[in-house]
Amino acid sequence: MTKLSVRHLLGIKNLTENDIHTILDTASQFKDVINRPIKKVPSLRDITIANVFFENSTRTRLSFELAEKRLSADVVNFSASGSSVKKGETLLDTVNNILAMKVDMIVMRHSSPGAPHYLSGKIPANVVNAGDGTHEHPTQALLDAFSMREKLGDLAGKKIAIIGDILHSRVALSNIFCLQKLGAEVMVCGPTTLIPKYLPEIGVRVSHQVKEALEWCDVANVLRIQLERQQIKYFPSLREYSLYFGITKAMLDNLNREIVLMHPGPINRGVELSSDAADSSHSIILNQVENGVAVRMAVLYLLAQQ
Amino acid sequence: MNLLLRSVQIIDKASPWNGQIKDIRVEDNRIAEIGENLSAAGMDVVEGNNCCISPGWLDMRVASRDPGFEHKEDLDSVRQAAMQGGFTEIVLLPNSQPVVDSKDTLNYVRQRRRQSPVCVHVAAAVTKHAAGTDFTEMIDLHTAGAVAFTDGDNPIQHADIFLKTLLYLRPMNALLINRPEDKQLTLFGQMNEGLTSTLLGLKGMPPLAEEMMLTRDLNLLKYILEQTTEPATLPLLHISLVSTARSVELIREAKKQGLPVSCEVAAHQLVYHDEALLTFDTNLKVNPPFRKVADIQALRDGLVDGTIDCVVSDHCPHDEESKNLEFDHAEFGITGLETVFALLTMHSGLSVESIVEKLTSEPRRILRLPALSIAEGQTANFTFFDPAKEWTYTKSASKAINSPFLGKTLKGHVSGVLNQGHIRWFGQPS
Repeated sequence: MTKLSVRHLLGIKNLTENDIHTILDTASQFKDVINRPIKKVPSLRDITIANVFFENSTRTRLSFELAEKRLSADVVNFSASGSSVKKGETLLDTVNNILAMKVDMIVMRHSSPGAPHYLSGKIPANVVNAGDGTHEHPTQALLDAFSMREKLGDLAGKKIAIIGDILHSRVALSNIFCLQKLGAEVMVCGPTTLIPKYLPEIGVRVSHQVKEALEWCDVANVLRIQLERQQIKYFPSLREYSLYFGITKAMLDNLNREIVLMHPGPINRGVELSSDAADSSHSIILNQVENGVAVRMAVLYLLAQQ
Repeated sequence: MNLLLRSVQIIDKASPWNGQIKDIRVEDNRIAEIGENLSAAGMDVVEGNNCCISPGWLDMRVASRDPGFEHKEDLDSVRQAAMQGGFTEIVLLPNSQPVVDSKDTLNYVRQRRRQSPVCVHVAAAVTKHAAGTDFTEMIDLHTAGAVAFTDGDNPIQHADIFLKTLLYLRPMNALLINRPEDKQLTLFGQMNEGLTSTLLGLKGMPPLAEEMMLTRDLNLLKYILEQTTEPATLPLLHISLVSTARSVELIREAKKQGLPVSCEVAAHQLVYHDEALLTFDTNLKVNPPFRKVADIQALRDGLVDGTIDCVVSDHCPHDEESKNLEFDHAEFGITGLETVFALLTMHSGLSVESIVEKLTSEPRRILRLPALSIAEGQTANFTFFDPAKEWTYTKSASKAINSPFLGKTLKGHVSGVLNQGHIRWFGQPS
């Protein structure tokens, strides 16, 4: 198995195309593992991993924890809502206290863009970014790419539309980096106030009509409206959003071909996705969740080899 | 103080000895004699070894943090940093705690004068607590010695407050300093808005926020001039920290129309553009933020053609706890006093003579301070420097270390300062 070019997984931006393929190929093997009757391998038996979550998370933290346990790592969890600064202890002090208990790897979610980059320059442990504010969420992008590849094969030339709140989405940014590195075409779609002005500069298409995006794409990756990350008003109401940007099964059925429907969760049913769309045959949303564990196992395994 | 400065090269366009290497005899804080091979009998001698000498430099934008945040910087340490940077005079912003918005705080800062070559001027706040709503007693503050008026780090948002300030200051011929920023457009902003901020997931501050406010400020200045008959010969409005190409163009146009406006740029704005932030280095987090390469070029052009009158350090000292943090929690600002000259030497495209003007005669004119010249009978207020000398910036005299230039090798070194009867001589770097 080849090695990664990086010591930390800070973002997709810092990965090479080769790194991405290495992670996805390794994840395939781990997907086999977690579907066996004995779901566990001893690969990280000597490794202690701390999941340090400064923002609320259910599925990502659970997914990491399961990935760690399937690899036989020792796992500790640390959660604190709000920033470390508000608690009176700096991020660096918090993490150094955890590392003093002989922890080898830090999986961190934090509300500040760049927090894992900052941390990786100050501590000896490997750092895995589990989401940093509105910046990146690399393991989500990797599991999305894995799920698309599983469904469609090689992603080169495939058309992926990311629909929803692009401005506040770390998933969108990591997906854009990942898909472009794999040769796919990317479109973002949403209300004008939720689309960053500068994305066309890196070759991302922009649409403000959901219908147009659905007709164009092979995969529609629908994002949650991140109301908690919007510090000021960007659109009038969820009602209007769901009326003009929400996706229903009828819209999918009216397309002249089958497309793949994805969502990183948690879904606001009835807002960005109607229930019948989310539960339709187009949807691979639960496959994404399953693949998340395999991809995270691959990331942790490969970083531990470094 | 009786002192002989041996073999110094005079850099001063106003001096009859400009460009020449001379000896200078200083007696009782005045230049007693300029010549060659002057007698050193009974005098202390400083060997200049052909280093340059100019009238003492003035920095129009310095945050001292004293009173209130003395752990970041105080009135003594800021003087030390000023001397290292070659400044014999500095203008302090009013944004201390409490804000310099009354004679009490003004007098505190002014009474803390020390036996030092650095003369401290104070810009008083326009509004109480620099909060942008209720006026300070500006006539009283002006009489007490405030050199200009500004809310400093808090740009004036309210158009009518801005207008009335200009009107109220007009009979005193006092200067209003404002940094143009529309705070609604920069809300939660961390860096320049652009592709780089998008890729970093950081909220951007669009150049438009500066340019719109600048346009407003210039329009209000034009408006008050229509109400007064007396022509303004000196700038009535000084624009702080110009950072975008369009801002330079707007000021160039305003000056062509004869508006009494002046402006400045921070030396570090000539060095970095926003892609430098790709590493999330909090020492590069400044306001106004680093823009684009084209903006840097426009700033240099503005300096060369005189649109930009002067250069400041925008010295913003912070403690480690304010900078060794996640990027969006970190404070804005760089400690700049010690590196202005090197940055100008390396990045401005200006001749040494012009750099000296941007640091001496231009800020003095804007602030209505008496002109200085290296000529017999004039005040002995000097900066000594060597524009060709390379040095490594290893240690700061400031309490703060939030400079991206620490550890770097720079070109253009300050050798010493002399003012108010005190000399600090650093000589050559080792």
